Amino acid sequence: MPRAGTITSVTSDLEQGTNQDDTRASIRERLAGQHVLLTGVTGFVGEALLHLLLTEVPDVRLSVLVRPKGSISGAERIAKMLAKPIFETVADAEVNVVEGDLSDPPALPGDLDAVVHSAGDVSFDPPVDEGFITNVVGVRELLRRIEETGRDVHYLHVSTAYVSGRRRGHIPEGPVDHSVDVEAELAWGLAQRAAVEERSRSVEVISKLRKQAEREHGRAGMMTAAAAAEEARKQWVKKELVRLGTERARSLGWTDCYTFTKALGERVVEGYAATGRRATIYRPAIIESSLARPYPGWIEGFKMAEPLILAYGRGELPLFPAAADTTADIVPVDHVVASIVACLAHPPEPGKPAYFHLASGDRNPLTFGMLYESVRAYFEKEPFAAGDRGAARLPEWTFQGGASVERLMATGEKVHKIADTLLGLAPRSDRTRGWARDLDRQGRRLQFLRRYLDLYKEYAQADLRFVDTNTLSLYRSLSPADQETFAFDTAVIDWHAYLHDIHVPSVTKPVRDLDELRKLRKRPVAGALPQVSASSTTEGTGSAADGGRVAAFFDLDGTLMSSNVIETYLWLRLGELSGTAKAAEIARVAGKVPKYVWADRAERSTLLRTVYREYAGARLSDLDELVDEHLTTHILGRLAPDAVRRIREHRAAGHVTVLVTGAIRPLTRPLMPLFDHIEAADLAIDDRGVCTGHLSASPLVGESRGAFVREWTRREGISPADCFAYADSHSDLPLLAAVGRPVAVRPDVPLFRHAKRSHWTIVDWESPAHATRTLDPAGRH
Amino acid sequence: MTRPGFVLEVDDRTPPLLVHEGLGFRLEEFPQGTRVIYPPESLPTVPDVEEAIRESLENPVDSEPLRELMFPGMRLTIAFDDLSLPLPTMKAPDIRGRIIEQVLTIAAEKGVDDVEIIAALALHRRMTDAEMRHIVGERVFRSFAPSGKLYNHDAEDRSNLEHMGQTEKGEDVEINKRAATSDLLIYVNVNLVAMDGGHKSVGIGLASYKSIKHHHNAKTMVHSRSFMDHKHSEMHSSAWRMGRLIGEHVKVFQIETTLDNEVFGKPYDTLLKREWEWSLRDQATVLGLRRGLAVAPQKMRHKMFHDLRSNYGLTGITAGAVEPVHELTVQRVHQQQRVKVEGQSDVMVMGVPYLGPYNVNSTMNPILAACMGLGYYFNSYLRQPVVREGGVAILYHPLDEGFNTLTHPSYVDFYEEVLADTTDPALIGPKFEEQFATDPWYVHLYRTSNAYHGVHPFYMWYWIAHALDHLGDVIWVGGNPKAAARMGFRSASTLRDALEMASSTVGPSPSITYLRNPPHLLADVR
Repeated sequence: MPRAGTITSVTSDLEQGTNQDDTRASIRERLAGQHVLLTGVTGFVGEALLHLLLTEVPDVRLSVLVRPKGSISGAERIAKMLAKPIFETVADAEVNVVEGDLSDPPALPGDLDAVVHSAGDVSFDPPVDEGFITNVVGVRELLRRIEETGRDVHYLHVSTAYVSGRRRGHIPEGPVDHSVDVEAELAWGLAQRAAVEERSRSVEVISKLRKQAEREHGRAGMMTAAAAAEEARKQWVKKELVRLGTERARSLGWTDCYTFTKALGERVVEGYAATGRRATIYRPAIIESSLARPYPGWIEGFKMAEPLILAYGRGELPLFPAAADTTADIVPVDHVVASIVACLAHPPEPGKPAYFHLASGDRNPLTFGMLYESVRAYFEKEPFAAGDRGAARLPEWTFQGGASVERLMATGEKVHKIADTLLGLAPRSDRTRGWARDLDRQGRRLQFLRRYLDLYKEYAQADLRFVDTNTLSLYRSLSPADQETFAFDTAVIDWHAYLHDIHVPSVTKPVRDLDELRKLRKRPVAGALPQVSASSTTEGTGSAADGGRVAAFFDLDGTLMSSNVIETYLWLRLGELSGTAKAAEIARVAGKVPKYVWADRAERSTLLRTVYREYAGARLSDLDELVDEHLTTHILGRLAPDAVRRIREHRAAGHVTVLVTGAIRPLTRPLMPLFDHIEAADLAIDDRGVCTGHLSASPLVGESRGAFVREWTRREGISPADCFAYADSHSDLPLLAAVGRPVAVRPDVPLFRHAKRSHWTIVDWESPAHATRTLDPAGRH
Repeated sequence: MTRPGFVLEVDDRTPPLLVHEGLGFRLEEFPQGTRVIYPPESLPTVPDVEEAIRESLENPVDSEPLRELMFPGMRLTIAFDDLSLPLPTMKAPDIRGRIIEQVLTIAAEKGVDDVEIIAALALHRRMTDAEMRHIVGERVFRSFAPSGKLYNHDAEDRSNLEHMGQTEKGEDVEINKRAATSDLLIYVNVNLVAMDGGHKSVGIGLASYKSIKHHHNAKTMVHSRSFMDHKHSEMHSSAWRMGRLIGEHVKVFQIETTLDNEVFGKPYDTLLKREWEWSLRDQATVLGLRRGLAVAPQKMRHKMFHDLRSNYGLTGITAGAVEPVHELTVQRVHQQQRVKVEGQSDVMVMGVPYLGPYNVNSTMNPILAACMGLGYYFNSYLRQPVVREGGVAILYHPLDEGFNTLTHPSYVDFYEEVLADTTDPALIGPKFEEQFATDPWYVHLYRTSNAYHGVHPFYMWYWIAHALDHLGDVIWVGGNPKAAARMGFRSASTLRDALEMASSTVGPSPSITYLRNPPHLLADVR
């Protein structure tokens, strides 16, 4: 049986060492002059491995297979990595870079002695096809290239201890017992992308996505909705591929697509070994920061437990689905790479693959209870300063178990959804935006929790004991000097000391540094606007960075002033009327309000058309006069002072200022001196100069605003990327999106959310409170 | 017989005293020993206003009767004080309208048909039609406004300004062209306080920025001690020089009126009475008002106060040559408002009410509140300030009304840009004034909308230059701390706290004087 074979191969190797007794060849000697190729050196384990080999095994010749990233070549990526402080002592080390991608690896150097394959997606929930490509196809292709070299190459495959799937109890260091048809699953997995893409275009799926997008974004125009629908379809494809991978994995007894494809990858390696080649399958448990090398607590990027630790420290992880006595099988990265090097130095017999577990749970278990106590003790001693409100409150875990956690989560999600629906119906105000902000923060927390709980539930509830007999034998066979240099006996770890003094301080450090930086940085003024231009003080020439002109687009209703079309219509009409006629008009409009409100929710242009219908029969010149006589004061009185100052700043900087509005042109008359160009709705008139109640062209709302900006800037020779736009409503999204510097002004909730997501500036230009005091168009006192 | 003004010394029998603070008031218990200055009660008014006007026009001082100054075919211009006077706006009919009607009657009788009527608003905001109609009366408005013969002075209309030369001190004199080129310029004034009137009427009311800037600046204002006393005011000296130069070019016939102290009509007249004399009814009124104000939203309080109309009565009217007329006017103003005060005190307390000259039908923004307290009330003295040099001014105002963008657009920017940079009146002028004064948007708003001129907030800050120079500290009770700090002041929540804060400047037991204003008073400090 393979298991017995493995042990034989190792012990035979070890016996050699024992025979030589104190003259045991050191790892360094064993690897001297060998040519080793590493993959995945830009990853956490790869980097640590490279560091260990460079510092402790200098006589080994190293090649690394690196994928170019964007315009950065593989060689540049390695040069950049070697410039890091931990590589300082070996800065002049020679590393041969083989450029190439694992999905289609290039020909390998002809004189290779060993290959360590530690590349691979570590995401637990990759789309199914990507999981197969990385973990199965990649391995197969790499092995094919190794076979091409025609040499006796020792292939060391870094897998994961969790390939054992949803088993329970002791897991031996041997092949995973399953009878899955690798080729059939691979063919299925690779075909899924095309199949799901196909399915995503089916009427049922796209019409549902489109309807939802139109419900949410319809006011901003159909193109915005279409873009959202397509984006939603892509997301759907991705989610579906992830779901398929997880479902298939679980149906075969694995936790997720990652461990499933990893297990199939091992089968590929075993097949390779069966052809009379040397292969080691190496399975670490959960890899965390280093215990001693290159320094205690060294870690790159965030691994599995870090987001949870940080979230706990911030008081944002109120519960966890594990039991207090379940093992959290953690190993430090320096133990991992040291054991890899030891394995490398002790190749198995050809045709008999060796298996090694690097785990801690069997001999030195760390339970979730201990983990929790240590992390909590650390944060009690060194709390995160949550902003300027003192230490965050640390949640107390009761380890209630998966079911009650699931119930809590489900309730939370339901409440969130209801609140979100209610928010969508609430009128726009500072308070609504505040609610939206809180709700979104809660939503993000819930999503975070949901994602991590789903991902880790399997691991947190896995009662697995990875037996590490082979690894321990290997360790004991090393000379005392090597045992010190290449330490990997996980039984020596004092978990509380490791977590409390090394790991958690290390992973929280970047966050603390960032907090520190934030504190040093001058607190940004709420809603601080970016400078109009760097040169605005020096009598602006109106030039962008590249010398071109700059334009600033402003929306009128809600942005520059507090009003809406219904109100402006009323002002205009009431000016002409008096006494009972006025009361009648107010009553008539009030009667229509639900309709108007409905129109406002549906689409802006519909609302505008509904209101402008009321102008039928008015003489245009009378309207102009009416505005000049009665409305100038009302319009100017309602202008937000900050808005006016901003417009004037743009002008002072030499920018072109443009007013874009769905309001009718007469209403913009008082603002004419502020703008170089006013794009407003024109009322259609007949040959007597009387309004017909229609517009002479479609009102400029939603998508047409974006189109206007693009066309207008093209005609004026202005680059939209240098331009500013200011608007308040979701329907203005196309206007804002058309320029490089969008600013959301007192946004409604959908725009507020979009602006938050897109990191747009959000400002609060308040119209003077007293301006809304009376609706007295005649201006009588 | 009218009771004269007097100085009360607070003792254990003194009830809490009324202190105005913006759109509200409070009853404050002052420390014992505090001096409280009460103005004289209202003087008797003239028995027959129409008769008094006729009498003044027919028997002017140092001038032929008005009738004899008129002749057919002449250019006649009538200018009048704008809505910044009186405060609050008086109940219709406004005294200016009644005077203008009589003047127009005489003009008609004399066959004068080239008549124009100009609101002498200098760099103040244009008045709305409604406001104009209120001052001149329905009949005059309807006869003149539609044909464009009744209008607001436009200090930015270059084609309608006349440069008349420079005074011996090199001050430009530039006023409204129509007024400057008239055969007769009649000015109808309301002399609410001692600083109004005289050569200030035409010389400033009809002038342009170019002319006004010679006396409206920090240097002149610091040396106007006080500008309620024109013989000791640099600003008035300048205006007087200009006025005399104007007099050489155009015949000015000045009509000045003085009012009694009936600042509020019923039922708010209680607020004018001395607190220990409040009847049960008065006490009930005050209680009701306070309860109402406490729960009313700001908008409603604003409306409540700004809808108040004053009950002013005419105490006298004088017409004729500017200077002798003004002498008589000032005498009457003093008679109504002057209170003798013995010596200065360490601390001066003032309650800034809801209304000043520049926020009629608008809002009392922080800058206007500062100007009202430290500009007007502080300067309401003859001889020397009520508070000693290095003393402390304690003012009451919430400083929370915000800016009216229609009437005070440049104030917002002044507050955000200028005061954020410096609050020193001497520094803001050279650094920022020109830019604000010539800004095309402000000019546009001043000329076409109802906005104060771009430079106007600077004048507010110059008004307080003398106070800032004289005082050791300024503390606002109940003032918005942010607004107070922006203006370079401090704020306290109670008088006790304010006195505690002041103790570092004036010691733990300072002498305190409270100006019980309104009604208007002028402290004659010996």
